[in-house]
Amino acid sequence: MILAQGRVIDSTEIGRLGTVLQISAPEIAEQARAGQFVHVRPGSSFEPLLRRPYSFNRIDRGAGEIELIVKPLGAGGEWIAARRAGDPLDLLGPLGTAFVVHRSTRNLLLVAGGTGIAPMRVLAEQESARRSVTLLMGGRSVAHLWPSDLLPATVEYITTTEDGSFGIAGRVTDAIGPLLEWADQLCACGPWPMLAALGRLRDLADAASSAYTGRRPLLDAQIAVEQHMGCAMGVCRACVVVTAQGNARVCREGPVFALGDIAFEQGEPATVGILA
Amino acid sequence: MPWRRFRKKVERSIDVSKSIEESLEDAANGEEQEDLTELAELDAANITEAATGEPDDDRAPSELGTRLRDALETEEQHGGLPSERPPARRTSRSHEGPSEGDPRAATAARYPEFGVDLNVQAARGLRLKNPVMTASGTFGQGVEYAELIDVSRLGAIVNKGTTPNPRPGNPQYRIAETPSGILNSIGLENPGAVEVARRYGKAWAELGVPVIVNVAGYSVEDYVYVVHEMTGTPGVVAYELNVSCPNVKGGMLFGCDPDLAADVTRAVKAETDLPVIVKLTPNAPDVVAVARACEEAGADGLTAINTVLGMRIDTKRRRPMLGTGSGGLSGPAIRPIAVHITYQIAQAVSIPVIGAGGVTSAQDALEFLMAGASSVQVGTATFADPLAPLKLAERQGRVHLRRDGERPSANRMKGSDHLALDLPGIGERTGQAVARGVDETLHMTERLRSGRSLRWSSFAGQ
Repeated sequence: MILAQGRVIDSTEIGRLGTVLQISAPEIAEQARAGQFVHVRPGSSFEPLLRRPYSFNRIDRGAGEIELIVKPLGAGGEWIAARRAGDPLDLLGPLGTAFVVHRSTRNLLLVAGGTGIAPMRVLAEQESARRSVTLLMGGRSVAHLWPSDLLPATVEYITTTEDGSFGIAGRVTDAIGPLLEWADQLCACGPWPMLAALGRLRDLADAASSAYTGRRPLLDAQIAVEQHMGCAMGVCRACVVVTAQGNARVCREGPVFALGDIAFEQGEPATVGILA
Repeated sequence: MPWRRFRKKVERSIDVSKSIEESLEDAANGEEQEDLTELAELDAANITEAATGEPDDDRAPSELGTRLRDALETEEQHGGLPSERPPARRTSRSHEGPSEGDPRAATAARYPEFGVDLNVQAARGLRLKNPVMTASGTFGQGVEYAELIDVSRLGAIVNKGTTPNPRPGNPQYRIAETPSGILNSIGLENPGAVEVARRYGKAWAELGVPVIVNVAGYSVEDYVYVVHEMTGTPGVVAYELNVSCPNVKGGMLFGCDPDLAADVTRAVKAETDLPVIVKLTPNAPDVVAVARACEEAGADGLTAINTVLGMRIDTKRRRPMLGTGSGGLSGPAIRPIAVHITYQIAQAVSIPVIGAGGVTSAQDALEFLMAGASSVQVGTATFADPLAPLKLAERQGRVHLRRDGERPSANRMKGSDHLALDLPGIGERTGQAVARGVDETLHMTERLRSGRSLRWSSFAGQ
């Protein structure tokens, strides 16, 4: 983890998904892995104050470049999304845990919702040469999907839209069924309701696992989660989620967790219920 | 500065191997040093000079001026601000600085940070090597940021509020951004005193920075229990009583009532020989009365202030943004409140006051020092700029140097070297000049930094 000054090389708006910033930051690209994130300072003053966490959307070690998908949410997000070629960016990273693709995995299933595509694209680029990869992406409409020409050609790309404007109408969980029988391993990133739906599927699979002895990608699925974050250094304890092992910091023990470790409550992360 | 000397134009040869920017920076650096020396001379102006506004040529060079030149020379030979120096090879340069035969050894030994002795009395019986601490809750247990910065350059660190039993903390969301600040409602999540002592004692001993344990609880017994459990933990030099947490039920109770605050202070003083600091809440009806009560009960210092109660509402969801509804506001947004309370308290008590609340730069720290604090804590600023506490510790050296006293705010009770607000003439002018100087320093350093990244190793091994 380092504190580095990156420089924006290019910025592209991707439909209504967000702005993709291509940033030159060799030291960070050198260390970055899929699932990890970088904490970006919005400006050099203390207004807006908090850094914003963005998962890597592309890691190019050779060129020393990274890409981030920035949604213009809040003053800080807007400032960062408005950066253009040549602008400097104060970066802290790479932070957090990364996805681990097992060596034995032949069929890798990636599930993305919205900007959750970011780490899935990194995995797709890294793994498509080594094993067969299917990326299942869901969005509100066609404008919220990742363009297929920005994915490796060898990746099978399946999309769902909630308004039915493209691909399968519905959500990723409506299309995941057949893929679960194909996949050896599952990695996912997206909004909490999507992850919670995967969690429910996992519980069902877990209950049925004694009867069904085939591949069980849901049982050891890995997910990357997001949470309102403060320091991203593990000190402020703002970003905790409840796991099987107790409170875990998304910035340190996460953002990649085992799906089975995360506790959900009505489509949201379970939260510490104590108001002492 | 009416009697400022005309500066002789210095011809600087153009070095073609450097870019224009670099040459300009070099030139500016030179001028900055001259400015510094001149300011020091100005600070030590004698009465004739002050009256006439002209330099007195008969006057011998001031001691401070000489010291400053020494210090700057040392700094130059070491190559700029410590954080800007290339990482030192451990084999070639030891931690002890210049070797004995080196003529600079004496200076470096006397003024470890920037060639200046910055040590302050942060509380009665608590002397720190510099006046910059980290605020509780924004620096974890010190080990986390140690991965990124050299924490041993700080005066002290204050750990996350420690309670007798483990606490899971409050429901999400726990943090929300506000104009120039943040609202938090963490709820004192911590593993409990026994676990904190067991898990971090060894690390604290190796951090190379004194640790102040922030103690929180619901009853007098809770505070005494935590202090009892932490006794003997390596690295711990003092306790800061958190009688002011707005995010747990009853957490602020002790800080709002002078009698209760005195009770808890007295009980903890009886339990430990280490200095006891009480962290005050701005949410108390009469914070000065609480401060006085703590002093009478034996407190060795006061921290002003904890967070200010606040609330944000998500208008789309028609719900408060924080899981608990309201929370504690911190950051530059509360700095004026903190400076005001520091000022009020400093007038009322004779124990040292630690200023806290929105400190982001040496200039902010100066506000607190002028308001009567002897040291400062940096909190929320660290989230935006993890280097903020270090920058402060380094630049504080320059700020202090420009003052007229031997040791500026440390012994502010002694009067003579109090960083005074109300001195007419020179004092005031110096204050302004100092503020401007800090700005320039900040600006220059930013420029130097831009274009190259800082690795944690830049700070290690110095």
